[in-house]
Amino acid sequence: MKYAFPLFSVLALAPLVLPGFHVTLLTEILIFALFAMSLDVQVGYARMFSFGHAAPYGVGAYVAAFALSSGNLPLPGAVLVAVIAVFILAIPIGWLCTRASGVAFAMLTLAFAQLAHAVIFKWNGLTGGSDGISGLLRNHGPWGFAGLESRQGYYWFTLAIVVGSAFLASKFVRSPMGTAIVAVRENEKRAVAIGYEPRRLRLAAFVISNTWAGLAGALHAGFLLFVSPELLHWTLSGYVIVAVVLGGAGTLIGPMIGATLMVVGGHQLSAVADSWPLFMGLLFIVVVVAAPNGLWGIKSSIANAIAVRKAGRLEVDHVAS
Amino acid sequence: MSLLECRGLTKKWGALVAVSKVDIAVSAGEVVALIGPNGAGKSTVFDLIAGTTQKTSGTVAFRNEHVEGLSAAALTRRGMGRTYQITSLFPSLTVLENVRLAVQSCEPRRAYPLFSRLLLERTTEEALKWLHRVRLREHANTLAGLLSHGDQRLTEIAVALAMNPKLLLLDEPTQGMSVEETRGTVELLKSLLKDTDMAVLLVEHDLEVVFGLAHRIVVLDRGRKIADGLPAAVRADPGVQQAYLGAGHVAH
Repeated sequence: MKYAFPLFSVLALAPLVLPGFHVTLLTEILIFALFAMSLDVQVGYARMFSFGHAAPYGVGAYVAAFALSSGNLPLPGAVLVAVIAVFILAIPIGWLCTRASGVAFAMLTLAFAQLAHAVIFKWNGLTGGSDGISGLLRNHGPWGFAGLESRQGYYWFTLAIVVGSAFLASKFVRSPMGTAIVAVRENEKRAVAIGYEPRRLRLAAFVISNTWAGLAGALHAGFLLFVSPELLHWTLSGYVIVAVVLGGAGTLIGPMIGATLMVVGGHQLSAVADSWPLFMGLLFIVVVVAAPNGLWGIKSSIANAIAVRKAGRLEVDHVAS
Repeated sequence: MSLLECRGLTKKWGALVAVSKVDIAVSAGEVVALIGPNGAGKSTVFDLIAGTTQKTSGTVAFRNEHVEGLSAAALTRRGMGRTYQITSLFPSLTVLENVRLAVQSCEPRRAYPLFSRLLLERTTEEALKWLHRVRLREHANTLAGLLSHGDQRLTEIAVALAMNPKLLLLDEPTQGMSVEETRGTVELLKSLLKDTDMAVLLVEHDLEVVFGLAHRIVVLDRGRKIADGLPAAVRADPGVQQAYLGAGHVAH
């Protein structure tokens, strides 16, 4: 992507000129964008509609919170522990969920998410129940990381992780495994006939997608320094699906744009109207009806139309000469 | 021992016996056609060999190994490729991507999770080679779903060949093609099969295609094998004439 470096530069320099509130807003956008991108790996590339993507996000956040509070780990260590924990948990859950497909898969993911929500909500002694865990600290640990305490420091930490993840995700979807996952999405019978194992590929997509969601959740815990069962609620799973569809599934960048709109829209519209989700809902309906490939799909369609027109003009010129 | 050896293949759907005690052997380099009237059990035999349908009884040995219970994907990796009666491609991927996926599936790193430029270049080169051989090189960047029916059938053959199979199961390769396209495809298949030890098991309704390609013909009727031999012998077999070919074919 030719705009990646300029965009990264602008985002990296943003805290030097923006007021604190906007840096906080940008951090929130980056985390939600990473969360939406993680779901896109599953929904856009593997066509596995998960209605429970809040579960790995919430579990990642809680594990990071435990690691920060009880484990007293430094922040990067807590994030790493959360990622490993979600990765390990995603394997058996993914193994069970990928036994089904379509609506049954979606219902299984929802069931597991509701189960995780119930456990965290009820297990007062460990999770703080409905109060959650608050008063977390961004521990320095023996290696420093004092810079992460500040708003700007944490923003740069998040930016580095999100940009790194987006880079890795773009490598992943064009990798042999990524293309095989798309092949299974396109025509499973054919994919089997040329030697691919759909179940394994779906499981891989599930685990990778969940692990990235866990990473986003861990960043959320470090960002707000507070976690609550709301992070595993089905409404968050719904929000992130809306972000993916709004931006354009199967593009990685589209869901990140969708997530940005959701966060910014939420902040701006909630200031003028209590019923701001209504406006987002209307936008969602318009996009689904008018641009089924999402907002990024509109950009791709325009680019394709221009390319076709240019090619046509070249051909006409060639014939004329 | 033959490359493929099926003994006593039987498939029952409840009380209906779709395939009954069929023996088929295919040797390396041999083109064997499986013919019979509609409902004779040809496609079922194909599915039993390819592992997509579970047999009721009988054995299937491929490359001296009993392959019962192996998944279709595992069979493919052991060297059994197939095409489908109804075109089965990845429609929103390009022709090149369709063939490249097949080439990639033979690589040890077929499910490597990170992008590799070297692997991409190698698999692309190999895929283009196959597209050139089936005369679809100029359509490499066309979406497979936008190709004409005949070209989609050829893409399917290229996908199957790109995995360098030891045995290719061709399910009605000229189905839905015009007379011209059919002739072109037969000539193409002949040229592709020349100088190779790949075996082919072919199901085809068009007898011109069958007699043009097959070294040996197996005839099925109502799930049973009624003839197995050289094309001339099968053509002259009174039982086959009665069941399938009809008197009109005998004189040719």
